[in-house]
Amino acid sequence: MMPSRTSGAKSPIRYLERRAIHAVLLVIGASLLSFLFSSLAPGSFFDEMKLNPQISPETVAALRSQYGLDQPLPVRYVRWVKSVFRGEWGYSFAYNQPVRSLLMVRARNTLLLTTLAMALAWLIAVPIGVWIASRRGRWDDQLASASTSLLLSVPELVLALGLLYLVIRTHALPVGGMVSTGFDRLGSWEQVRDLAAHLIVPVTTLVLASLPILIRHVRASMIEVLQAPFIQAARGHGISRSRLLFCYALPAAANPLISLFGLSVAGLLSGSLLVEVITGWPGLGPLLLEACFSRDIYVVIGVVMASTMFMILGSLLADVMLVVADPRVRTDHA
Amino acid sequence: MKTSKRNSQKRLIAAAIFLLALHLAILLAGFVAPYQPAMQNRDFPYVPPTRIHFVDARGHLHFRPFIYQAVARADSLYEYTEARDQEFPVRFFVSGSKYKIAGWLPSHTHLFGVNAPAQVFLAGTDNYGRDQFSRILYGGQISLAAGLLATTVSLLLGLCLGCVSGFYAGWIDESAMRLAELFLVLPWLYVLLAVRAFLPLHISPSQTFLLLVAVIGTIGWARPARLVRGIVLSARSRKYVTASRGFGASDAYILRRHVLPHTYGTLLTQAALLVPQYVIAEVTLSFFGLGLSEPKPSWGNLLANFEQYNVLVSYWWMFAPALALVLVSLGYLTVANAFHQQLQSGSI
Amino acid sequence: MGTEAGATRALQPALMRARGLGKRYVQRAPFSQQSFAIEALVNVDFEIVPGCLTALVGESGSGKSTLASCLAMIEKPDSGEIWFEGNEISHWSKRKLAPLRPKIQLVFQDSAGALDPRFSAAQIIEEPLEIQRRESRQTLRARARELMEEVGLSPDWANRSPLQLSGGQRQRLAIARAIALKPSLLILDESLSGLDLSTQAQILNLLLDLKAARSLTVLLISHDLSLVGQVADFVAVMHQGRIVESGSTRQVLASAQHPQTCKLLASVRVLEAAFQTARAGGRG
Repeated sequence: MMPSRTSGAKSPIRYLERRAIHAVLLVIGASLLSFLFSSLAPGSFFDEMKLNPQISPETVAALRSQYGLDQPLPVRYVRWVKSVFRGEWGYSFAYNQPVRSLLMVRARNTLLLTTLAMALAWLIAVPIGVWIASRRGRWDDQLASASTSLLLSVPELVLALGLLYLVIRTHALPVGGMVSTGFDRLGSWEQVRDLAAHLIVPVTTLVLASLPILIRHVRASMIEVLQAPFIQAARGHGISRSRLLFCYALPAAANPLISLFGLSVAGLLSGSLLVEVITGWPGLGPLLLEACFSRDIYVVIGVVMASTMFMILGSLLADVMLVVADPRVRTDHA
Repeated sequence: MKTSKRNSQKRLIAAAIFLLALHLAILLAGFVAPYQPAMQNRDFPYVPPTRIHFVDARGHLHFRPFIYQAVARADSLYEYTEARDQEFPVRFFVSGSKYKIAGWLPSHTHLFGVNAPAQVFLAGTDNYGRDQFSRILYGGQISLAAGLLATTVSLLLGLCLGCVSGFYAGWIDESAMRLAELFLVLPWLYVLLAVRAFLPLHISPSQTFLLLVAVIGTIGWARPARLVRGIVLSARSRKYVTASRGFGASDAYILRRHVLPHTYGTLLTQAALLVPQYVIAEVTLSFFGLGLSEPKPSWGNLLANFEQYNVLVSYWWMFAPALALVLVSLGYLTVANAFHQQLQSGSI
Repeated sequence: MGTEAGATRALQPALMRARGLGKRYVQRAPFSQQSFAIEALVNVDFEIVPGCLTALVGESGSGKSTLASCLAMIEKPDSGEIWFEGNEISHWSKRKLAPLRPKIQLVFQDSAGALDPRFSAAQIIEEPLEIQRRESRQTLRARARELMEEVGLSPDWANRSPLQLSGGQRQRLAIARAIALKPSLLILDESLSGLDLSTQAQILNLLLDLKAARSLTVLLISHDLSLVGQVADFVAVMHQGRIVESGSTRQVLASAQHPQTCKLLASVRVLEAAFQTARAGGRG
């Protein structure tokens, strides 16, 4: 009595189409929510701005009318959307430029940091997780579990501060910012080294912060898979242990891990904000903080939207990977 | 495995006792702390933690621990030595500055202290000479209270919305879950900062506190709501609910007697997970200056001293609030793990 | 075989009557635009004679449970009428139906799912009484114990969880709960499936005793025609949403016409012996 399923070739694309539309709807919803939050502010932002000597009263009045900040919320939202399509993303009062140019640079820096941290974290977590899953219950598994629990209890704030302390005490690395002064005068290899040196502390913090959860999940998925009959069968065929783990078991455990990948983007983004502020990495984090203090409303909305879009992209990427990796997804969603 | 279950129970009890002791100490900060958090000692900025001695300079062993008074070195700034001429024994249940137990019962007994003019700085002092140990205890009141209250807000919101959503299903469920998805897709720290920023910046400490609790708690409703909704959905489709309806039970009765009891285990686990997260959220906000600000101590603004790198490097004892934070996290996460295991095995 | 009294009883007005009932379920496969409809009930005419045990028999998917749900006012039919105590109730609102609910009670197939595992046996029986406020707090427990005895459960088990009871004991508990409100009609939806033969016989015995002692009208739904044929006064056979044969048990079993009825009869189970033995040994 069931309807016939559509052919397998069409459905992954349809599934992804649906996820993409879903993502777009989420972005729109998030922007609405951000705007809603902004309407919570009692009084006008320009009241605070008027006290700011850098901005002349004429600019204030002009901006006020241009952006219709005295207009009701829906009108403001529409104007902002139009500004987005114009490529400006609103206007930063503190920096006196369209938000977009600010966002681009900072977003690039944050992306650099977070993608590097994600890649490293997964590269470390997967082998460790796989290994201790195979050694379940033995001393190295228990040691790893205890360490991850401990690491999990250390908040990122403390991790960042602790690493900074070590680095400053030992003068091992340059601290603060993305590049040293005089960066432009360095040769390209030196530039890379300088960048890398500045990256070490923030990336290490982020990696250490994400490792516990990743390792736990990898371990849990692997343990479940290792109990499956097909693994026992493969073992009976005399396949070597590492081949068994990585070529047979891991792909089967990939499904929940890929979903975790999508979610871990979220955690990493939130974490990167903190790390960026503490280590002085010029990403979206410090920008947001500054904007919060100076009440630069469109920058705030812009940063929140940018980070939300990264998250949505991350989970969309996870959806794509899921479709590629898991044959069941292709045929199940007719 | 039975042993692992017993182990997890033992761990649960140990962690619970530890947490209880910590919370009690913080609740009774007035009693446990030797000094008031606002008390400054301008002559003693950045004093390292006072060493507790049992053996004096002449080699005699004392049963009662004692300290030496800190004396600033004449030649360099912020360096201290101990004045070995006089021992100041640490006495317990001493009479000191007035405070109110848990905010209402006046008292002036402190757990420990030393005679004037010596002062015992278990965790050193900050640049105003304020005893960090006392400030950590008082600060813990704010940070922990914020975490606990915000957790209550999130769980209550999540419970209500999840119940309504799961019980009545239909379009209510659809829209509520879409909204939850929206909240979950926003990176929470960004949203937290943004919302906090959009609200008045310069308000009184108690208003700030309530605001923090409201904001942190409200943003986090989505995950508990989803979990509760799942439980309610499955509970409500059970046959015994249909039977109850057949007896003429009202929705309220069914919720109360058949559905809600299934949520308790999950709510407990969520609570144990959320409290440390929310404490960290408050600490982060205060660290950035968007939460409690001076002079009221909170672990966040205590750690904010580190914004100056020189403090970070030279005065390691200022890390103490971080240690407190880690201990709280460790305690709650252990409890959460144990709850989770119990839940999985069906004991709750 | 059915009782002789069945023939005379038939002349009394029906306790419950359904006319032209129809119900369809529309299902949509997840993520698909296609949907398909299941005709669960098609133009069903059905009568329940008071004081008798009526059996509703059919294969899985024949619509028996749907009919039971409609009669028990759990679901509303899409078309047709249902008459109960002289009122047409198929379109009544929840509020209007509320006072009728205690009069029609349903016992489910899955006893474990139908009893809240967090409740004790006594609490399960007390629940309907509590909801309908029939008893004061003090007499609640006493009443529950009475009912437990009546269905053959030891009152010492009052504090046991249903998970600690066997399948047959759970069904007894479910029946005790169902009769607590003194209903006029008791519907048992495949409540005997999943029990072993002797337990089935015991429960059937219990039903007959209850029927006699309380003048209870019973509607017994099953896929096992020969089983219910032992105790039913009237039988109706359902197939693909329709009633294909109905009448007194003797009539239907003796001169089965519809191929479906014959098919059901063909799967004979040797129950007679077990049944007679159980009856001879008294309740137990």
